[in-house]
Amino acid sequence: MIERYSLQPNNFNPDTPKEFVLLSIIAQSFFQPFSLEDNLLVILTALTAGSGIGFNRAMLFLKDGMRLKATTWLGPRSPEEAEAIWTMLSSPGIGYAEIVAYNRDLVTRMVKDVQPKLKHFIYDLEDQSLPLPALAALNKEIILVNEAGKEPAVDPNFMNFIQVDSFLCLPLVAQDEVLGEIVVDKGITHAPIDLNDIELARLCALLAGNYIYTTNLYKKVVEMEKMAALGEMAAFVSHQLRNPIVAIGGFTQQMLASPCQPDRCRRNLNIIQEQVKHLEDIIYKLSHFLKITIRELQPVDVKPILLNLVERPDIKLKAARKAISLKLAPELPLIQCDPVYFEEAVVNLLDNALDFTPEGGKVYLRARPYNNKYVLIIIKDSGPGLDEKSQDKMFTPFYTTKENGIGLGLLFVKRIIDTCDGKLEVQSKPGRGTMFKLYFKVRERGQS
Amino acid sequence: MKKILLIEDDLALSLLYEEELKNEGYTMVVAHDADSALELVQKEEFDLIITDIRMPGKDGIELIANVMGLRKDIPIIINTAYQSYKDDFMTWAADAYVIKSSSLEELKAKIKELIGS
Repeated sequence: MIERYSLQPNNFNPDTPKEFVLLSIIAQSFFQPFSLEDNLLVILTALTAGSGIGFNRAMLFLKDGMRLKATTWLGPRSPEEAEAIWTMLSSPGIGYAEIVAYNRDLVTRMVKDVQPKLKHFIYDLEDQSLPLPALAALNKEIILVNEAGKEPAVDPNFMNFIQVDSFLCLPLVAQDEVLGEIVVDKGITHAPIDLNDIELARLCALLAGNYIYTTNLYKKVVEMEKMAALGEMAAFVSHQLRNPIVAIGGFTQQMLASPCQPDRCRRNLNIIQEQVKHLEDIIYKLSHFLKITIRELQPVDVKPILLNLVERPDIKLKAARKAISLKLAPELPLIQCDPVYFEEAVVNLLDNALDFTPEGGKVYLRARPYNNKYVLIIIKDSGPGLDEKSQDKMFTPFYTTKENGIGLGLLFVKRIIDTCDGKLEVQSKPGRGTMFKLYFKVRERGQS
Repeated sequence: MKKILLIEDDLALSLLYEEELKNEGYTMVVAHDADSALELVQKEEFDLIITDIRMPGKDGIELIANVMGLRKDIPIIINTAYQSYKDDFMTWAADAYVIKSSSLEELKAKIKELIGS
């Protein structure tokens, strides 16, 4: 016999210890997309909710450069409010989403009263004579302050603000790096802070530290990926520009180096003109490629577009002495895309197919529903086909086997299909032509 | 006269190199892809090979590996727009690595160094 349980902590029974409930709610944050603010607020709520862990108010400091800055202060304003939060937290069906919604509401309300005062609490972590509460972060240790009014190490401004006798400073540390601090107190119940409280608070601080660390790491990775893509792009572009530039420079030098025969001069100038045209072409196509942005997917009826497309003069010109076999299923559902980009994607592939098909050969264009979920567009040529190596390279920017190709066409197609949430498959074998299969998602009912 | 095999898929560039190196007194044979270059290497004697790396079909690195299997003694110069191929250990097998530039002086100097004028 087997029993199944959800990975995500959910419904608790009434005798679940409160500590478990709270930690489970915090643990739910692990299932959320990275929203550092929300996740930290959930921890603060768990720490401060009435009969929960037992603290009443929490101030969050985050490290910004070498400074520790107060960013949020959260807590109920009265014992009743504290109790109401706890009742909400422990009622059945309450989870992460409800707490996040509640927190956002609370913070919005508090921003006006409290947030302006928080900006006074900025501590320089390079200052070795830091007062409490920042000292805890600097020393990477949890510090409990009792009889705070008599303690000279406490920042008097901070004392004025929180107006309590006891508070607990929890540094947020991950991988030995200080990332922030949480200061909690029992400013409403005025109960003493005991060892049990400290144990639970330490767990919360560890989780908070790790959230911040992971989020920072995630941001860094995204940034690095962007830079890497940019670097790759720059390398490809500079290579692509280099060939024509070398040719222009080389042929110019040839003319300057020695008295130029009129014929030779003319020929060189023609070559230079061609290369400049090629450069313009690269720049035009590149900017066109970079501009692909589909803001909103729309319902697209592919049938009239495909019927029209084979009648386009540029396609007809290319298809002279070749044939296009067009077959469309009688019923084709609407797809989700952008009509202009859809047409461009198909034209690009059809254009390629015609280029690679020898005279007298045939290009096949098909459209039919697939699996109720997609409309499948097939474009097949009677060309030489591609070996595995060329297939691997075909989506590499600027890779081309065409004499005047730029090597962006297929990438362009792929990018359009990705944007429309579709799929692209290629089947090719040397001597047997190449077939592209484009799967476009069918518009779901009720979607506009 | 020394005979050089040039492999370059860009037509304008291959014409430029061909003319400039002929001017230096070399006999030039041009191929626009690796396969036809390999056929030539099997049929004719060359004093030097100059090859691009990024080409449709077989690339320059594969070409170098194939040439080395046929004729270990022919010096090879890689002439490419990419700095990055220097990290590919197969390119170490070449005798020189020259980045494409509108001034052919560096290329000419390397040729002279390897096979004289």
